[in-house]
Amino acid sequence: MFKAIVSASTLRDALDSVSVLVDECKIRLNEDELAIRAVDPANVGMVDLTLEAAAFESYEADGGVIGVNLNRLEDIAGMANSGDLVQLELDEETRKLHIQIDGLSYTLALIDPDSIRQEPDIPDLDLPAEIVVEGAQIGRGITAADMVSDHIRLRVDEAEEAFFIEAEGDTDDVDLRLDREDLIDLQAGPAESLFSLDYLKDMNKAIPKDAEVRVELGEEFPVKLHYEFGEGMGQVTYMLAPRIQSD
Amino acid sequence: MGNADLRDIAHIEEVAFEDLSGVVAVDAHNWLYRYLTTTVKFTSDRRYTTEEGEEVANLIGIVQGLPKFLDNDLTPVFVFDGGVTDLKDDEVAKRRKARERAQERKEEAEERGDAVEVARLDARTQRLTDTIHETSRELLRLLDVPVVEAPAEGEAQCAYMNRVGDADYSGSEDYDTMLFGGPRTLRQLTSKGSPELMDLEATLADHDITYEQLVDVAMLCGTDFNEGVRGIGPKTALKAVTEHGDLFSVLSARDAEIPDAERIREFFHSPPVSDDYEVDTTITPDVAAARAYVVDEWEVDPDEVERGFERIEGALTQTGLDDWT
Repeated sequence: MFKAIVSASTLRDALDSVSVLVDECKIRLNEDELAIRAVDPANVGMVDLTLEAAAFESYEADGGVIGVNLNRLEDIAGMANSGDLVQLELDEETRKLHIQIDGLSYTLALIDPDSIRQEPDIPDLDLPAEIVVEGAQIGRGITAADMVSDHIRLRVDEAEEAFFIEAEGDTDDVDLRLDREDLIDLQAGPAESLFSLDYLKDMNKAIPKDAEVRVELGEEFPVKLHYEFGEGMGQVTYMLAPRIQSD
Repeated sequence: MGNADLRDIAHIEEVAFEDLSGVVAVDAHNWLYRYLTTTVKFTSDRRYTTEEGEEVANLIGIVQGLPKFLDNDLTPVFVFDGGVTDLKDDEVAKRRKARERAQERKEEAEERGDAVEVARLDARTQRLTDTIHETSRELLRLLDVPVVEAPAEGEAQCAYMNRVGDADYSGSEDYDTMLFGGPRTLRQLTSKGSPELMDLEATLADHDITYEQLVDVAMLCGTDFNEGVRGIGPKTALKAVTEHGDLFSVLSARDAEIPDAERIREFFHSPPVSDDYEVDTTITPDVAAARAYVVDEWEVDPDEVERGFERIEGALTQTGLDDWT
């Protein structure tokens, strides 16, 4: 059983954060929250999303799992104006999701959850550095880095108490320095890792510019990016595996 | 080899290597074949065989071709063919015959001293010998590149892995991956320029047909498993299938026949594929061991492979999150 009403913008924010990594996903319809966990085929980028029942206008669920084509669902959600409410109801018999938006009704065929890639285990990481920064700052660093390279270095300088976003190209370099006063918070520690810009660019698309992003970083370790949406009642954690020099 | 007629109707776009990322399930036979026939074969012959005349162009191909993936954030998974499908008997026999003919003509050309013709025909006489199979696998193992064994057609396995999400793309120069239901195929992975992306959904949308109809169109034009119907090209086939609905209606309307049509069609729709594979996408090559294998053991001129090995060494390895669980 699943029946819920949610604002179109909250639904879109949730879907966008997952669709940058995968085309299909399982959605867990837990009693107190909706949850999605997915990893891309290369096992490089992971998303872990929860949207609390309180983020919905109304929410009733009893722990089922559905499989959805995210692009399709995004297209439908795209039909709504941002103020609209979207009504979702699962038909257990036909395994279809009925979606209603301001008089428009859409019946979405679901995907067998067993045919979707298994949900990943979340690596248990204890990362030494934590940076809290505005989404817009990360976006700036990524956009600039993308002009010169296909990978990016995230680094914390403990002595200088600063967070660096850097990229080295064949001819040009980019360096964004964010001091303690430019950041919302900084817990300095030994941290420096390289990441693929392809993945970070996609993740960045989903991160709201005004969101507080909590970055957890280590030395040649995956990075974790946490942010909230839906007035704090939706939580997203991205995890991205580093690139390492093979020698 | 697939049917190149499909190019006329396939939705193909050039993409930049930089814009790609993820896992490519590469049809190994098809990929190696390119290196054996075109990339190195036309330049010289002595350099690509050992003293005993064993073929080593495949090893050079792997060393030269791999950096292209690694430098561009693509993780290759090499899918090797299993047994030949009995449906393909005709095609295999035909290819063998073509090879034999080419071999005869090559010998004639050699007698005439026509070097260009020899090189050209040499390409046609190439096939993957047991040695090529063995040495390719061993080198891929040393370079830590994942290998998957297909139960039958490698392309069908690539398409399957792509469809279930274990690969972001199939990699093949042919068009069959699309007929086997592969959503996205990368072509020209061995060429100098940019690769092409062939998209199944977009192809279907372009012509407003279903996947089943696409297979029917291909069968009318001819596939690896059947001769096409005489006088039917891709445009005509498309029109006929759209008009009549499916293959059998077209055949009866034209009073034509494709032997074994039902079986071949079924073979495209659900080919033998395997779920029995495990792919570790974190590639950590043992370059020293690979270099020793290629240069010392197989007598490849170091100059041929040094640049490739340097690039493999310098490539930034993309790790996987599963390394931390």
